[in-house]
Amino acid sequence: MSVLFPKSFNAFPTIAAVAAVGGLTTAVAGFWYYATPKFWSVGYMPTQPSTGFSHQIHAGKLGMDCRYCHTKVEQSPEANIPNVSTCYGCHAETRLAAWQTQRVGFVREAQAKNESIEWRRVHKVPDYVRNFPHHVHVAAGVSCFSCHGQITAMPIVYQAQSLSMSWCLDCHRNPEQHLVPKDKVTQLVWVEQHLKSRAANDPTASAEALKVSLERQPPQGCGACHY
Amino acid sequence: MSKADQCPSTVHEGPKHKPSKQELSRERRSLLSSVSGKVAWRSSDEIADTPQFRDFLEREFPAGITELFTGSRRTFMKVMGASVALAGAATLPGCRRPDHKILPYSATPPEDIIPGKPLFYATTLPLPRGGVEGVLVETHEGRPTKIEGNPLHPINRGKSSVLAQASVLSLYDPDRLKAPVYFNRKRNNGAGERVLATWDDFVTWGKDYFPKFDKSQGAGLAIIVDKKSSPTRDAIKASLLKKWPKATWVAYDSTESVHAAAGSKAAFGAPMHDLIDFSKAKVVLSLDRNFLDANAEPRGLVHARDFASTRRVEDPTTADMSRLYVIESGLSLTGGQADHRLRAAPSKVVALACELAKFMLPKLGAGADAVVAALPSATISDSERKFIEECAKDLMDGAKKGATIVVAGEHLPAGVHAAVHAINQALATTLVKFATMSDELASDSRAAMATLTADLKAGKYDTVICVGTNPAYDAPDAKAFADAFAKLEGSIALSVGQSETTAAATWALNGTHYLESWGDALAVDGTISPIQPMIAPLYAAIDAAGNPTGQAPMSDIELLAFIAGDRRADGTARDGFELVRATWKSKLNAKSDADFEKPWKRALHDGLVAGTTGTGATPKVNLAGVAAAAKDIKLDAAPAGQLEAVVRAGWMHDGRFANITWLQELPQFGTSVTWDNPALLSPKTAADLGLLPASATLEEPNTMYTKEKYPAGRVAEFEFAGRKVTCACWILPGVADGVVILTPGYGRTNGGLACDGVGFDIGSLRGDASSVLSGVKVTATADYHAIASTQNHWSLEGRTAIVRAVDLQTYTKFAGEAMKDNDEIYAGIAAGSLNFAEKLGELSHTPPNVSSYDNPYNRSAADLNPNDPNYNKIPARGHKLNSKTAQPPNFAIGPQWGMTIDLSTCTGCGACTIACQAENNIPVVGKKEVAKGRELHWIRVDRYFAGDYYNYKDSASINYNEPEYIFHQPVACVHCENAPCEVVCPVNATVHGNEGHNYMVYNRCIGTRYCANNCPYKVRRYNFFEYGLHKFNGDYVGKDLIESIAPDRGGISGSGTHNKINPNLIPPRLREKLDEIERMQKNPDVTVRMRGVMEKCSYCIQRTNAAKIETRLQDLKSPLGTSWVPDGFVQSACQQACPSDAIIFGDILDTTHEYKDADGTRKGSRVHAARLSRRSYLLLGYLNTRPRTSHLLKVSNPNPALVTNEHRRAAWDHPFHDGGSHGGGDGHGNGGNKEHAFFDERRKREDKGYALSLGVLSSKAASAIGGGLA
Repeated sequence: MSVLFPKSFNAFPTIAAVAAVGGLTTAVAGFWYYATPKFWSVGYMPTQPSTGFSHQIHAGKLGMDCRYCHTKVEQSPEANIPNVSTCYGCHAETRLAAWQTQRVGFVREAQAKNESIEWRRVHKVPDYVRNFPHHVHVAAGVSCFSCHGQITAMPIVYQAQSLSMSWCLDCHRNPEQHLVPKDKVTQLVWVEQHLKSRAANDPTASAEALKVSLERQPPQGCGACHY
Repeated sequence: MSKADQCPSTVHEGPKHKPSKQELSRERRSLLSSVSGKVAWRSSDEIADTPQFRDFLEREFPAGITELFTGSRRTFMKVMGASVALAGAATLPGCRRPDHKILPYSATPPEDIIPGKPLFYATTLPLPRGGVEGVLVETHEGRPTKIEGNPLHPINRGKSSVLAQASVLSLYDPDRLKAPVYFNRKRNNGAGERVLATWDDFVTWGKDYFPKFDKSQGAGLAIIVDKKSSPTRDAIKASLLKKWPKATWVAYDSTESVHAAAGSKAAFGAPMHDLIDFSKAKVVLSLDRNFLDANAEPRGLVHARDFASTRRVEDPTTADMSRLYVIESGLSLTGGQADHRLRAAPSKVVALACELAKFMLPKLGAGADAVVAALPSATISDSERKFIEECAKDLMDGAKKGATIVVAGEHLPAGVHAAVHAINQALATTLVKFATMSDELASDSRAAMATLTADLKAGKYDTVICVGTNPAYDAPDAKAFADAFAKLEGSIALSVGQSETTAAATWALNGTHYLESWGDALAVDGTISPIQPMIAPLYAAIDAAGNPTGQAPMSDIELLAFIAGDRRADGTARDGFELVRATWKSKLNAKSDADFEKPWKRALHDGLVAGTTGTGATPKVNLAGVAAAAKDIKLDAAPAGQLEAVVRAGWMHDGRFANITWLQELPQFGTSVTWDNPALLSPKTAADLGLLPASATLEEPNTMYTKEKYPAGRVAEFEFAGRKVTCACWILPGVADGVVILTPGYGRTNGGLACDGVGFDIGSLRGDASSVLSGVKVTATADYHAIASTQNHWSLEGRTAIVRAVDLQTYTKFAGEAMKDNDEIYAGIAAGSLNFAEKLGELSHTPPNVSSYDNPYNRSAADLNPNDPNYNKIPARGHKLNSKTAQPPNFAIGPQWGMTIDLSTCTGCGACTIACQAENNIPVVGKKEVAKGRELHWIRVDRYFAGDYYNYKDSASINYNEPEYIFHQPVACVHCENAPCEVVCPVNATVHGNEGHNYMVYNRCIGTRYCANNCPYKVRRYNFFEYGLHKFNGDYVGKDLIESIAPDRGGISGSGTHNKINPNLIPPRLREKLDEIERMQKNPDVTVRMRGVMEKCSYCIQRTNAAKIETRLQDLKSPLGTSWVPDGFVQSACQQACPSDAIIFGDILDTTHEYKDADGTRKGSRVHAARLSRRSYLLLGYLNTRPRTSHLLKVSNPNPALVTNEHRRAAWDHPFHDGGSHGGGDGHGNGGNKEHAFFDERRKREDKGYALSLGVLSSKAASAIGGGLA
């Protein structure tokens, strides 16, 4: 037996136990950290048609309101993607300079052919979540910023938040941290600064005031989203 | 023993017949329920209570239901190995997030559409034989998904029938004709070949072909259309027949009986529709007329609604209720509602009608001596005479004058109809008025079709055009028609779905569905309503870019106009839009085009032309005409040993709706049979004719339950006038003796995958006879046919005391009584006391529900508001609430959803089931799966027969053959506040919501099915396979193999000669995935469930959530300053469809808001009021589950003179004494049970479905590895 198991093997059970515990801890910790929407989904930025649509230019630099394009966000669960004709309204051949042809040619082409543009979807909740109701969130005073991040600074839109269930519930349990006055919902730069300064200076007062206007506590039951 | 714990029935003294309690066998007592003194049974098996049936009940799901593989371990390993390999291959690409595209609208966005929000458009559903329903169609981004009734339409008033609900599915039927098919006779060396064509080809062909009739004035041309009322089609018909006077035009419907039209012609000189107002009725006698069924009558929805309004009693002091007598041959919806029901063969119904007329007319002094003299004399028994005489006295009751009416079924002879008109006039009834019936609807089209077939055989026609009709299947002599039709050069068939006729035609044309086309319809009351398309024709020809091109598929009016030469200037066909507008310009009295637009748009918006609804006239009855018609009445009873057959159309009608799978799988009235049309016989008739399954007799109940427990029907051969058909038999108590009820529309051969080979084609038995066949010979064969009936599914494990009913006599006397509740926890609804209905049940016998533990869940909607400062100080229901325990859902702030279902008005029509199916993406599972108990309907309609409890001395004394009562009870998830399912779920997949919903979270469910096990109501349904994602009927893996193997194995759908392979019998896992077209019907607001998850009624949570959001967006504030969902703002799908308004859904806490409706101003929601009713009770309330759905007990209104049963009379004075599930009853002894067996011992041998499916896999594997398998 001693040939098969030299004395140095006496440490083996200890080493094995430590390694097992360590390995298990690493595996669990790894899974805990990596196997999450926060790790995999945040930062998701699919390639858009042509050079994509720059929210930085349109919503940021030009200061267009979100609802100029996402027209039905206050009426429908879906924040609709604009019709091609909306894009073409500004980007018609006659309206903007010729040097843009390279970048917006696909819009003009789609308009001429009466076809849609195949945008890639960035934000998606799983199929077992019924469509995220944009209208009621906007009506309650939840800014676009809270879920989509600082869109006005994104040349190409990427996913800024995890959209996981715990993330939803964080806000549904304490909605006041994300509520803004309803007329400021689409003013993302103001909202970002306001939420930051409010967190620093005024953690409760104005937020609580806004919460009063909610009428109902946001639902936390499963049936709010899963049915 | 304290008195509170003691059963009152042991305290009080009972009537003399009451046996001691010990005599009541424990088993029986637990199994059989009682309905206020009447034994109620769901099936004879329940009464017989054999060990096999017990075994069946005690399983949560039938045996074998979970069985996946019946093969050996080796086979299992092989199959699993392959699955694992496939799964591995499939998962690898899954690491990447799939690329989802979003396609916005292009340069020309449609008007009005808000992506994500449905739009509702009004249109009209034309139904056979002049039926019309005004409907609203829910469209999601242009895709119709759901049909609702149009609130403005006088027929619907917001309600809808089974057919309307199901019609949307036929739009997406994958078996529809998709392109014209031309039979080129020259090809294939003259044998001919069918080639795909386009509508342009047909137009080109037609332009050359039809001008030849200009010369012949239409000789040689026959057009066969279906019977419907359309002003535009009538205009086209007029112009066509003017141009080609020698052409033959037949409006054909194979299910018709034109006796009613002939009867009104005899009485009034012209065929008339009756417009009956049942809302004021006091006494109604129906002579085999199923007037409450929207499927049987054009105004069935109106009748159901009006009649229901006379059946809701509330205040016992002013209780005023109609009384319905029904004499009928089969068992119909109307018979189920009857206060007195008499079973009689059709000839006997005629005899009784004659005797009734002879009794009544002289007494009423109607001057109808000639009529009385002309009526044939009949012999009827004393009890029958008593029935009609008491009924007649009731009808002639002076206090009810003007509010009584007699109605006759359309298959009764014309003379009976005429006599009934005379009686009604003599009764001076104000309930009925008459509207003229078009000649087309009044015509005897079966005779016309028989003539046409003969002429066709004789070569009189060279062109026959079938528009929406299918005579090759349902003509009186279908085979002769089909043969002659197939030989014609000019045979043209326009059809939405494929049919036997399109298969034989030279031109098989794919017609447009009513949701794809323009048209118009005329209701029997004269209402004109437009049909407008919801979606462009799905199967139009498309160009390379995918855009529709060329001639679009035509609707019936477009094709007829094209044939008639009514074309545009450039020779192209005019579309329905132009045609309808052209007709309507004259209808709307528009002087100019500009004048026309406004009323036209109004009509499209409203779904009808305002002001066209007629009220009818009251023409005088011509008694001489009645007498003449009465002379022709024949009482041809069937000879001894032979039967009278009644051919009665079901949901499939003449077969045109047969490929709608929702209809196929909807349990049929009375029998709960799905996917079949067995011949219905009474137990006695079946026993007399030897049609019981072998080894079963009435005396010796079956011992034939087999492992999988499918029932089977004996196949019999029916012969009439030399014509023979075979059909399986099914035994249904309540059918008249000596009668067989046959249902047409099944056994199609080319109707689509869902209906081909399903059921039996009995059409050829009828020939050109009326729908009553007297003298049908029956011969039992040795064959059996498996039948999937849901009647014994979802049994409540003996806790069946859930249906309650009393007579009005009891109600008026005792309904005011309430009983102090001895259970303070339960008494939520009726404020601390048990109401009348609750007192009737077990609850009054139940000891207090006292828990030793602090149970925060013992709080209810009636508890304190948490905003009350005393909330945590006052003990909740006797317990101190421990603030450290988890807070239960707070049921004290609104909205709190609840539902009530009124058993008094429920007719059992099934509209709720199918509306729920359409709304909630409930898949169809197929016959074999239904037989296994896997149907997924969230709301089931239980059928109970009931008889006299006291006469229940032994089982032989229960007369199966003649149930005294028939009850229907819709049961869905009742959303218990204290739900047993929730506490057993290991993964919290079913939890409670703050608004009273019992949530079902599909993505959490791991399929343990503990919840279904623990549900006392058995309302949970499990997805054994991916029913929602797979075709139930389409192509399937290994199709060829099954077809090659099946004959060797005796077939998979039954035995003997009935082994035609039907794809819907294929286990779902072998089926292919849904086509895109089938997915289009799915409601985007509801998850399509996957395999392995539980599902159940959700209280239409998608609708309640949407309603809450909508109130928020519209900033709807209650006058009281709180947020609020107004009553009626949200309706559940079942409630919205229910024709008799038996289902009410809403916020049970809404007690204060004022609403105005037709009945005036009311305070609080309707559901709140209904829950306070004396008739409201909770199913199994004594279990402390506290359901949110309450049922309202049924009240019948029997005529005291006809109630001979002394015990029933005694119950009028002592209702509570014997109530509850225990109490009175007699010893049972060990006498033989009277039993008719529905079950087939041989099925075990014959049912090879699962073994076969394994065989398919094995054979496939075998051929792959080149060897056999163990």
